[in-house]
Amino acid sequence: MTGAGAAPSAVRVTGLRKAFQSRRGRVEALRGVDLSVAAGEIYGLLGPNGAGKTTALRILTTLMPADAGEVVVAGLDVRRRPAEVRRHIGYVGQLGGADTAATGRENLILQGRLYGMGRVETERRATELIDLLDIGPFSGRIVSTYSGGQRRRLEVALGIVHRPAVLFLDEPTLGLDPQNRANLWDQLRGLRGMGTTVLLTTHYLDEADQLSDRVAIIDNGLVVAEGTPEELKRRHPAAVTITTRPGPADLAQLAGELAQEPLVRGARSDGGAIRVDLDDPTTAMAAIFDRLRDRRVDVVGVTLREPSLDDVFLHETGRSLRDAADPGEAGRIAS
Amino acid sequence: MSLLLQTALLTRRRLLEAVRQPIWIFMGMSVPLMYLALFAPLLKPLAGGPGFPGGSVLDVFVPGILVLMAFGSGMGAGWVVLNELDSGVIERLRVTPASRLALVLGTALRDVVMFAIPAALVLLVATPFGFDPHWGGLGVLLVLLALLTAAVSASSAALGITLKQIGSLAAVVTGLQLPLTLLAGVLLPLSLGPGWLQGLAHANPMYYAVQAARGLAGGTVASGTVAAGFAVVGATALAALGWGTRTYRRAMA
Repeated sequence: MTGAGAAPSAVRVTGLRKAFQSRRGRVEALRGVDLSVAAGEIYGLLGPNGAGKTTALRILTTLMPADAGEVVVAGLDVRRRPAEVRRHIGYVGQLGGADTAATGRENLILQGRLYGMGRVETERRATELIDLLDIGPFSGRIVSTYSGGQRRRLEVALGIVHRPAVLFLDEPTLGLDPQNRANLWDQLRGLRGMGTTVLLTTHYLDEADQLSDRVAIIDNGLVVAEGTPEELKRRHPAAVTITTRPGPADLAQLAGELAQEPLVRGARSDGGAIRVDLDDPTTAMAAIFDRLRDRRVDVVGVTLREPSLDDVFLHETGRSLRDAADPGEAGRIAS
Repeated sequence: MSLLLQTALLTRRRLLEAVRQPIWIFMGMSVPLMYLALFAPLLKPLAGGPGFPGGSVLDVFVPGILVLMAFGSGMGAGWVVLNELDSGVIERLRVTPASRLALVLGTALRDVVMFAIPAALVLLVATPFGFDPHWGGLGVLLVLLALLTAAVSASSAALGITLKQIGSLAAVVTGLQLPLTLLAGVLLPLSLGPGWLQGLAHANPMYYAVQAARGLAGGTVASGTVAAGFAVVGATALAALGWGTRTYRRAMA
């Protein structure tokens, strides 16, 4: 059921635009988004609430028409061939969507049959998924009795009953405790291992960083940065803070000298500490410590803060992802 | 082919859901029986008077009650669907290749079943008390009323998805329910009323259902009234199913 075989990418989005008419004016949710997801990778769409992630996902999954732009999923044009696209994709929405009045197993079987799978095949697949996602102990219970984590597992299972080539998940770990989050990450990695392309939205930095092979940072309806988490972070320096024992050395002057070293982006003194921004801490550190020893500076502590995707976000948008949740309407309303 | 299979699967799902909420089945059964027990006796003195030609008053009253039940059975669909809009079920189903018409039909057919069972019970209970219908005509009537239930169910679902708010849905549906039932002559024949009331009733699809219902229960199957009933209710059902399918196609929480 893949159909992505011949296509170079599992998802290709160009110039995607979508605006909504609200009472207060036209809101541009997507203002020309370009994405390319390779087959078999986990791709994270990272951004604050209201950035346009869910809108993009809904267009990609045939739920909503785009205003402009081209979307090709599993080699098929979403606008022209939505019915065929649906056979090749799975979707786990933010709201979940399991039938709460039915049992987990009943949910799985109905889902499989709606995808046109035969009775026997569906039964077998349900059993397989119950096993794969650890649904066994509660698969016979009515879904309304499930915990958040149990329900999420079922919902992921519902999304992959028909072995889709591409699985879309909208904020899959929202509201899950750390244990269930870690489990879900493992399960998604497992799916990748079986060749499924996974495209997920998230506003969690660590989810984008640790789970995703590649990340697009989306803000205000635009992709502001795209690449592997390492690539994105490498563009930003690591911050090393060196705490010193009070001594004769003039830290401000020393910081000025350190700033001249190769691989050092900047340095400044801060009380009894020196903060150095380094592109490549492993290589640059030795030279810095040599210099400190020359000046007889006693080092009592060193902390290293690697660049995070939040630094990337901050650099691209001028604000921190943590503060960016739900940008003011004013910022999103087009003139 | 796959439409039939999907409709069957989705109807089964709905029926299972209903069976697991026995309180609704109980209420569905008890309301019509209460009409029979608590309202029908008030009609006794009217027997033989205008609007109640000969026979038992139940012969006029029971077909009206059946129409009321058909309407009431379909009315709740909007609430069910709204709930599913909020819980993401509709979104999930819309990403599957399932036919959107099958999604509407699944709910509508459940409602038809949920109409038919208490309807049979009412007929069973009314018969020993003097209800003396033409059973063949009654069979045709049940088909007509199944169409009415489907029309109401699909409309209610479409309204739910369109309005998106439980409060708005409740206001619109209950706001429509009263004029529609009053102007259908469900409880008392409209022939008792003035001309303008009878004229107004002709704009109400349910009126044709009630007229046809009384004719069919009396055994007149091949009549203009019955033909008009099927034409109006059938067209309404088709339009409602089309409307429902369209809203499912676009539904967004």
